[in-house]
Amino acid sequence: MEGSSEEHTFQVRVPKDRVAVIIGKDGNSKKQIETLGEVRLSIESETGDVTIIQRGDPLKANITSSVIQAIGRGFSPSNATLLYEENYQLIVISLRDFAKPGSHRIEQIRARLIGTGGKTRRVVEELTSTQISVYGDTVALIGDYVAMEYAKEAINMLINGSKQRTAYTYLEKSARELRLKRIEESFG
Amino acid sequence: MNKTGIAHIYASQNNTIILVTDTTGAETIAKATGGMVVRNDREESSPYAAMKAADLIAEKLREKEISDLIIKVRAPGGSKSKIPGPGAQSAIRALSRAGFKILRIEEVTPIPHDGTKKKGGKRGRRV
Repeated sequence: MEGSSEEHTFQVRVPKDRVAVIIGKDGNSKKQIETLGEVRLSIESETGDVTIIQRGDPLKANITSSVIQAIGRGFSPSNATLLYEENYQLIVISLRDFAKPGSHRIEQIRARLIGTGGKTRRVVEELTSTQISVYGDTVALIGDYVAMEYAKEAINMLINGSKQRTAYTYLEKSARELRLKRIEESFG
Repeated sequence: MNKTGIAHIYASQNNTIILVTDTTGAETIAKATGGMVVRNDREESSPYAAMKAADLIAEKLREKEISDLIIKVRAPGGSKSKIPGPGAQSAIRALSRAGFKILRIEEVTPIPHDGTKKKGGKRGRRV
């Protein structure tokens, strides 16, 4: 590509303790992201600023910025690189919108989303075949956009205080609908 | 020779609008929306509709001999959702597959520096 005339960059900021995950052992996951996304990553480990320098396909560079954001939100690099596939998207929900500042509500919501031994999160992940990460004050989801609708709805139900059972029932009921929509989607 | 256009892609939860202008942004060259290509209201925002809309755009752009595109993606923004809808990705993909050279992709979702209250009232949206 002849992109030498103008280098296009994206800036993403990640928490400091996730910088190590982006780089990986011996820089392996950094290398992997760089080849998959056709970019160069320059990481400022003091502040957590990640600069993505586009080398090839601009679309892939754009996706890379959400891959980095996903890793910053607690996903493993192998799950975050799912985003390079078609129809996958990342949604980050901030829990601060649901709690008064300084209250313990966020911790309660996080506990409800994860469940005993990770049960709630696992059930939602399995029923919708998405990936969910609860990290800090955010919940992040990776999945294809059809499943995302239902997973997001279930998470909103849990945040707003429904019983876990209600959310499971909702997902079980809509499993059929979801399958139908997937088939529709694959045929266009 | 290479004429450049700007493709503004507005992807909301309910529709996808693709508007191509010249580099000043003042002159519209082509426009297509998800609603122009599907019958069903709920399918307007689907990746499939976005792809079809991008194909329409590609046709119009070939007539006008535009080869390079700068893409600006946005979500509703402001006090509404800041995540682009499902149509954004597939619209960009379809445009690049149609043979246009994509120079860069920008995210132009309006982000408030603390703006107005989100709609729905204190007790939230009640279904």
